[in-house]
Amino acid sequence: MMSDESLLALVLALPFAGSLVVGFLPSNRHNLEAWLAGAIALAGLAIALALYPAVADGKAIRVAVEWLPTLGLDFTLRMDGFAWLFTVLVTGIGLLVVLYARYYMSPDDPVARFFAFLLGFMGAMLGIVLSGNLIQLVFFWELTSLSSFLLIGYWHHTAKARDGARMALTVTASGGLCLFVGVVIVGHIVGSYDLDRVLESGAAIRSHALYVPALVLILLGALTKSAQFPFHFWLPQAMAAPTPVSAYLHSATMVKAGVFLMVRLWPALGYTEAWFWIVGTAGLCTFVLGAYLAMFQQDLKGLLAYSTISHLGLITLLIGLDSPTGIVAAIFHMMNHATFKASLFMAAGIIDHETGTRDIRRLSGLLRLMPVTAGLAILAAASMAGVPLLNGFLSKEMFFAEAVAHHSSSAFDRVLPYLAALAAMFSVTYSLRFIHGAFFGPPPADLPRQPPPLPSWMAAPVALLVSACVLVGMFPAVTAGPFLDSAARGVLGAHIPTYSLAVWHGFNVPLLMSVVAMAGGALLYLALQRYLSSGIEGSPLLRRLDSQRIFDRIMIALTLRAGRIGLETAGTRRLQPQLRLILGVACAAALWPLLQLGMAAGPLAPSALDPALTLVWVVGAACAIAAAYQAKYHRFAALILTGGAGLVVCVTFAWLSAPDLALTQLLVEIVTTVLLLLGLRWLPKREEMVEADRHRTPRVLLRRAADLAIATVVGIGVAAIAYAVMTRPAPDSRASFFVERAYTEGGGTNVVNVILVDFRGFDTLGEIAVLGVVALTVYALLRRFRPAPDSIVSPEQQVRQNARAAAAGPRQPADALADSLLVPALVMRLLFPVIGMVAVYLFLRGHDLPGGGFVAGLTMSVAFILQYMAGGTRWVEARLIILPVRWIGVGLLLAALTGLGAWAFGYPFLTSHASHPTLPVVGKVPLASAILFDLGVFVLVVGATVLILIALAHQSIRTHRPTKPEPAPDHA
Amino acid sequence: MIPVAFPELAPALPEILLAVGAMALLMFGVFSGDRSSRTVSWLSVLLLILAGIVVAAGGGAERVTFFGAFVSDAFSSFAKMLILLGSVVAVLLGADQNERDGQARFEYPILILLATLGMLMMVSANDLIALYLGLELQSLALYVLAAFRRETVRSTEAGLKYFVLGALSSCMLLYGASLIYGFAGTTSFDVLATTLQQGEPAIGVIFGIVFLAAGLAFKVSAVPFHMWTPDVYEGAPTPVTAFFAVAPKVAAVALFVRVMIEPLGGLVDEWRQIIVFIAIASMVLGAFAAINQTNIKRLMAYSSIGHVGYALVGLAAGTASGVRGVLIYMAIYIFMTAGTFAIILCMRQKDRAVEGIADLAGLSRQRPLLALALAIFMFSMAGIPPLAGFFSKLYVFMAAIEAAREVPILYVLAIVGVLASVVGAYYYLRIVKIMYFDEPTEGFDRTVSGEVHAIIGVSALVTMFFFLYPAPLLTAAATAAAALVKG
Repeated sequence: MMSDESLLALVLALPFAGSLVVGFLPSNRHNLEAWLAGAIALAGLAIALALYPAVADGKAIRVAVEWLPTLGLDFTLRMDGFAWLFTVLVTGIGLLVVLYARYYMSPDDPVARFFAFLLGFMGAMLGIVLSGNLIQLVFFWELTSLSSFLLIGYWHHTAKARDGARMALTVTASGGLCLFVGVVIVGHIVGSYDLDRVLESGAAIRSHALYVPALVLILLGALTKSAQFPFHFWLPQAMAAPTPVSAYLHSATMVKAGVFLMVRLWPALGYTEAWFWIVGTAGLCTFVLGAYLAMFQQDLKGLLAYSTISHLGLITLLIGLDSPTGIVAAIFHMMNHATFKASLFMAAGIIDHETGTRDIRRLSGLLRLMPVTAGLAILAAASMAGVPLLNGFLSKEMFFAEAVAHHSSSAFDRVLPYLAALAAMFSVTYSLRFIHGAFFGPPPADLPRQPPPLPSWMAAPVALLVSACVLVGMFPAVTAGPFLDSAARGVLGAHIPTYSLAVWHGFNVPLLMSVVAMAGGALLYLALQRYLSSGIEGSPLLRRLDSQRIFDRIMIALTLRAGRIGLETAGTRRLQPQLRLILGVACAAALWPLLQLGMAAGPLAPSALDPALTLVWVVGAACAIAAAYQAKYHRFAALILTGGAGLVVCVTFAWLSAPDLALTQLLVEIVTTVLLLLGLRWLPKREEMVEADRHRTPRVLLRRAADLAIATVVGIGVAAIAYAVMTRPAPDSRASFFVERAYTEGGGTNVVNVILVDFRGFDTLGEIAVLGVVALTVYALLRRFRPAPDSIVSPEQQVRQNARAAAAGPRQPADALADSLLVPALVMRLLFPVIGMVAVYLFLRGHDLPGGGFVAGLTMSVAFILQYMAGGTRWVEARLIILPVRWIGVGLLLAALTGLGAWAFGYPFLTSHASHPTLPVVGKVPLASAILFDLGVFVLVVGATVLILIALAHQSIRTHRPTKPEPAPDHA
Repeated sequence: MIPVAFPELAPALPEILLAVGAMALLMFGVFSGDRSSRTVSWLSVLLLILAGIVVAAGGGAERVTFFGAFVSDAFSSFAKMLILLGSVVAVLLGADQNERDGQARFEYPILILLATLGMLMMVSANDLIALYLGLELQSLALYVLAAFRRETVRSTEAGLKYFVLGALSSCMLLYGASLIYGFAGTTSFDVLATTLQQGEPAIGVIFGIVFLAAGLAFKVSAVPFHMWTPDVYEGAPTPVTAFFAVAPKVAAVALFVRVMIEPLGGLVDEWRQIIVFIAIASMVLGAFAAINQTNIKRLMAYSSIGHVGYALVGLAAGTASGVRGVLIYMAIYIFMTAGTFAIILCMRQKDRAVEGIADLAGLSRQRPLLALALAIFMFSMAGIPPLAGFFSKLYVFMAAIEAAREVPILYVLAIVGVLASVVGAYYYLRIVKIMYFDEPTEGFDRTVSGEVHAIIGVSALVTMFFFLYPAPLLTAAATAAAALVKG
């Protein structure tokens, strides 16, 4: 014999396991799958019944397995009397639905999927009912949304099923997410998600500041699930599901989950004004509105769907009344509604199955054709109407008694009895309509199908359910009493209110209300005959309010429209607006703290402005602005102007006593400009776009003005921040460390150079190695001696000049090129030894004064490249043999060997030695072993730079593609 | 030379392994040509797995090297495992797809290796300069990867666009970093953490944080720096897009978290405002802008923007449980995304790749298992239980609500998040609807290799059955978070 705990786990595990098994069975084995599903439901029911003694006296069975340990969450199953009641309903009605579906589903339907979904749904619902913590409950809650989506959309070839399924999922899953947040807030208040802990902490929750948000969110979940006004619209759409599914959804599962949750959490969340007003109002509206709409439905299932809404409204209203007797009545009505509504749906399904239609306008007189079904359906409908001796009557009487009792002195309380009676009257009317419309009257005329003999097993579930209705209705205290009692104990604890389950309570107000409702309902049905027989779809007054359409509109507005707006404002494929956005946002983000905190310049006073430097800067700024302006129209001009701005930066560095930096910057400027110039040759001209832009339409002007404004603001902002940083004392950094030790330890006064060749010698070794690698890579990329034929034509200027030269007479086209740099070329050739001398000078003084191997190397390479520029590649290479790759190799070796030399004297790698010997003529020369290292740097830099520049120079030998015969476009 | 101790190399062993391996493979590839691409791919996968083993073997002990610039701790190990996983997936997907498109080039896996190396350095960065180095290494490799199909206009455009915008954002990041250095006088995270804790922060530091956050937000593609994402995702070849969506995202998010929590941890109130804003904007935009998409890769781009928003909810909490939430989120996100992109790779008709969402119509009837897998991913991304995506959202929202006790704005964040996920659910479910309910069009080719199917299968199983045994991931994430948020 298994323990109660493992049995409980089995109840939950069986449907899921069954769902997996059934899902993988072949879809044509109807009997096998139905038997398996039925057996699982039966086993669940049997286990539940066997567990009754353990929960009968108000105790609960608990099983906990570690699940999400970091959250302190266990997977907890908890069954008390209330959960037990629902377990029995879910498994019991599930069993009957399976049995019914076995005969209902057509042989063509893929039933393996159907039963798999159905079992999954059953498992999810059991999960909600048996959850011992709130997170787990939400988990199963969403699982029911998901599996009901699959079930409603089972016949997915019809548009109705698809729309209905999607709507049901959208509404209930969204509600579920709200529930999730609500539950997390409750867990946050209580400090635990455990159901027992939460139920004990009612007082703490109600007094917390977050009580109302949590309550609203949780109720949003419950009300959407239970199809309460104003979220009721999904339920009628969901009747597109196969009828067994509807029977299950409307009776024991899905919609019951909402009211289940409200009852479950009532001890923790109830007893407040907010609860009373929200739940009570929603329930009352739904109760009346659902009943009103149900009267005018032409579809049997539609009528039942609206009646479900109305009855759930009744249950919600009872819960909202905030009294223990109300809760007991609510639980009782849940049981009763489950039994009669399941049987009614099954009966409607049988009618549909047999006659081919569910339209009340086409049906009549079925009593003669299918007496058994008719009899059962009439009994069930009577129970729905609240006819005495049936279970619906009992809970309705309890409801009436509760409605007339005093709750709060408000208008709500005064109108409640009247509205209750009114809605009850409506429910009598629609029940009458169901009975009279389908089963009485003349024999049906033009049915789509002649009723075949009914499989007797198909009516069996209906008969079982109806007999339950009758038994409970006649002997309530014996049949339902103990179970209702244990369920109430589960919710309310030991303090159960006194209530009486008797058929006859004597003449009292509730009975009077029942009588009024019965009589009024019958009269109303007679009065409405004419309107109903006119065959109009929908109810008067509210006919135009098509909930489906409203829902679709809202969804479209929320999703498609908003999506489009979102895309239009925040999504574009064009690069320029994207750049604008990034800069704009960065600007705004920087402005925000500025406005909040304010910012002033630091304490350091800036030095006086030098007019000459200012002028240089004005030139630089002008270059930059002009470059930006020309960037679109004339790339070449823009590039040269950028170079101008860069030069100003070099000058500034030199001005501010950083010649190393200035020289390095200069080289970087030159190399990048040359590279970009080379790149320009490959870019297409994009004439059309630029031409279109040249016409200065207001739009173009506006756009460019906006860009100018952004650039100005960003520029000023960056400058302001830089100013603010620079006027503050610099934080303590490494600089002082090096300045102090440059001479004492490195033997030099040029701190930068000492750092490069001594303090950070190892870094420099790495850097020059990288420089060598880069040079080789550039060389390889530009394919030094094998220039491929060029892919573009000769530049326009060259074409024109050649044309002019040809026109001028005997000159060859190339003559113009050859003579173009005659005087400068001569000067440059003469300069070669001078520059070489300067380089040596810079190198030698480098350790103490601005200079050093790196700068000297750059200078030397400039000497070489000038020759290339002056004489052309072929001229230079005919006279001068430079082997830059060897220079690189020698430089690297020299540097490395100097470092290794230190080892020879027993010092660590790259340790240096410094002295200042006096040379004849030159005088005192700083000589440190680092100078050898520096020499390596010098040689390598020369090699690398020359290699790169030569590779670039060789681009000039590339031949152009022959010029196109047609004349170049005229730009005059 | 000033004598310094040679830095310990062991903590950076995975990185060294990747660097050396990538260069060796590059040489191998250069000398044996494009026909070696398959071999190089498999060797790259081996190398990545090897690096993963080294990371795992290194464990969670905190080890600092390279003079404090590089740290290896439980947090970086967790992120590295995810990154390596994402890279393995990208190499496998690419090997298959490139070969069928006649694009088999050995550079593809090597670029991925280099990008991965950059990412590993990013998550281990303990210094602003190290951060920038890692970031640029991965970005440069990614720029090239985006333009990998250089003969197609879309791919080159994607690469160029990504480069231009990426350079701009790097520039902002660098500016921010230099401002922080200018005011705090150090680039080391450890020193910054102590310096910035004292007293009122200087306005310059705030500026620095703003620009740093802007640069990082670009890398994680959070709104308003998200614009490049849809274009690049659409334009880049699908395996590259898969890579973009997985590994760099994890790396950037991890870096974001480390920078905010460690050096800037003392200024949590200042940066929280930024994170809250970009999280809300990302979640909302990700949800709404995805609805109208017809291209599945663009849709995934917006979806990834949204996911980053959710992950940042955890960061906004600024607590250990928030960081844990982010890590769990990214871990689960990797599986969902890798699986989805593997399915996108299967979308081929007549040997041509198709990318329209409408092309999925009726997939459930032609390829039921593929449709089921995609449905699992979509439901999971929508955050519907019992799929893994639900738990990822659960953890970040819980962290936000926990921290909301002190910072009420986080309630707003959580509620906006939930609402955005409702809208998000709509477009994920639209895909499910199209697959299951619409009339089928032409079927997909059945030429996809076993690796792709294996990736789909494994990710689907993980996503589906995560809830059965979540403990290992949760504990690992908790340890990783504890390494970052001390005390």
